[in-house]
Amino acid sequence: MKRYIQRLFVAILCSVVLFSCVEDLDFTQYDELEATPSYEASILYLEAPENVINLVNNNSDVFSQNFNFDAFSEDVFADRVIEGTITYIVENTTSKELEITIEFLDESGNITDTELFIIEEAPTATIQREIAYGDAGRSIDIIKTLSTIRVTARNLGDNTSESNLNDPMIIVKSSGKFRVRLK
Amino acid sequence: MRISTLFYIALFGVGICAHAQNKQLLYDFSEIPQALNINPGAEVDFKWYTGIPALSGISFQAGSSGVSAFDLFANDGVDFNTKFRERVLGGMTTKDELSGTYQLELLNVGFRSQDPSVFYSFGIYNEGDAIGYWFQDYALLAIDGNADQLNRRFDLGDLKTRGEMMNVFHFGVNKQLNRKLTVGGRAKIYSSVFDFNSTRNKGFFVTRPGQNNILSSTFNADMQWRTSGINALKDAESEGNIGSTVLKRGLFGGNLGLGVDLGFTYKVNNQTVFTASILDLGFVYHSNDVENYTLKGDVTTEGVEVILPGALADPNRDFWQDLVDDIESIVPFENNFNSYIAFRPTKLNASLRYNWGEQVPRAADCDCGPNVTSNNRLSKFTNGVGAQLYMINRPRGPQSALTAFYLRRIGNVMTVKTTYTVDKFSLSNIGFGLNLQAGPLNMYFLADNLLAYRNVANSRYASFQLGLNIISWGKN
Repeated sequence: MKRYIQRLFVAILCSVVLFSCVEDLDFTQYDELEATPSYEASILYLEAPENVINLVNNNSDVFSQNFNFDAFSEDVFADRVIEGTITYIVENTTSKELEITIEFLDESGNITDTELFIIEEAPTATIQREIAYGDAGRSIDIIKTLSTIRVTARNLGDNTSESNLNDPMIIVKSSGKFRVRLK
Repeated sequence: MRISTLFYIALFGVGICAHAQNKQLLYDFSEIPQALNINPGAEVDFKWYTGIPALSGISFQAGSSGVSAFDLFANDGVDFNTKFRERVLGGMTTKDELSGTYQLELLNVGFRSQDPSVFYSFGIYNEGDAIGYWFQDYALLAIDGNADQLNRRFDLGDLKTRGEMMNVFHFGVNKQLNRKLTVGGRAKIYSSVFDFNSTRNKGFFVTRPGQNNILSSTFNADMQWRTSGINALKDAESEGNIGSTVLKRGLFGGNLGLGVDLGFTYKVNNQTVFTASILDLGFVYHSNDVENYTLKGDVTTEGVEVILPGALADPNRDFWQDLVDDIESIVPFENNFNSYIAFRPTKLNASLRYNWGEQVPRAADCDCGPNVTSNNRLSKFTNGVGAQLYMINRPRGPQSALTAFYLRRIGNVMTVKTTYTVDKFSLSNIGFGLNLQAGPLNMYFLADNLLAYRNVANSRYASFQLGLNIISWGKN
């Protein structure tokens, strides 16, 4: 009797194993999974009021400043970035025409990219521009090696007039949207 | 054994699913001694029993409430990215989970007191339990990112997980108070090998139109990740003595806790029985080898901001580094070694059973045959049908399962039980249990979700329990 029950027990176990089915699975499909999200955030915001601009003679640089910016050259980003765009919005509410130059510099101080904005005086002065990097635009290496952003503002008008708008100033806004490969 | 393997075991390997700890086949299966472990107030007619060490009680359950392996890895020619996007990102919610439990009995002994109405049982078992809810918003951030999703809040609270491995030392008392009521209790000492939990996370990440700049990014976090025993296992892994470390921490060398199980069986009438039990009403106090990590704060940034003329006061100022430093000081990622208490996942079982048919004489050495009406331990009926309720306390709240069962006794040699269980994971869970008694040798095999065996890969849940015991009813 004891042996009979033991055999029955084993038979049930074997039945479960033998008569259960597992359809063919292909776990290598996981290798095909692509994770290439796009992230966006602001980069640089700069504002200079008209009274600061008027302190400098016309046709001279109002200011030229280097800003350290290591976000894109960090390995965690530089090794993964595929493509992206940088959006600039330049607003001028002053009474004079201005020239804004944005330059990207690598770690050695070499200029790798330049963007020039000549913006008329208020009230029609707003420029929005999107610069693509990657396959559809400029080299993505510009982004990967970015270490410093240089912003230069030049007064193309006079240095005496003042806009009648409230709080007149030149504003540079920028944001980046980049696609990165996580897997 | 590598630590990653241990985690794998805790998370996936050894017993999964929300009904993970639901032992609906074993519950109220009074022919099996291990039924006492899930209702200390169960009816028991043994003189004594002992489990075969390491073979007396093995339970293994695995599953997932969201997708099955077949859903994702079937060789169906569909692009894997499409399947992942449709079935995981689009098909799962934060209520879906991957969870599990296993138990391995190391020692299980029971014996009747000199007072025949009292039965004692004690033992040791090793248990692992883990649960991880689907972290939907983290996955969306990783797969899609935050671009073009202005004002969409990514919920940091989607990270909810816990897991542990421990040895449980228990001692139970079962007493038949009268012919209607049997009660029982079981005291437990938990010896934790390791524990991790991150269940009370709050916060969000959102991108909005900026006040000054084009975009504004807000990160609000109140997150915590608590661990104990993990560092000891890491050290043991590098030193090559992880086995002895697990053994030591499981034998009171780790963190200790206390708990209790309570249960009863009440005969409503001669043929109707109501039972209930509450298990693992307890906690573990973690003070040994604790390391916790926190991320707390609220920050909004619009990138590097340069406002003239003040910004040019210091020509050497590093605006980028200042921004990084500000964010890190407002939302610091820190660690501490503070002790903490982790409550056990408490379980509740209840059943209502109606018995009928012939009465099978008990194997027990008692005057309790079919024609006896005054003995506390009356003979058992050949058929039993009823319903069971199971609930477990989980990080996202209680989960429940409802089971209908039929039990059939074939003499004192064989008992079978079949169940149909409904819960949030399956509407077609049919289980089958077999208990065989060959003299003193007791064997049982319980398997769940049998329909899934048509294609195991397509199952979101699979489980089995088996064991070997030696039982005596005191007869010569």
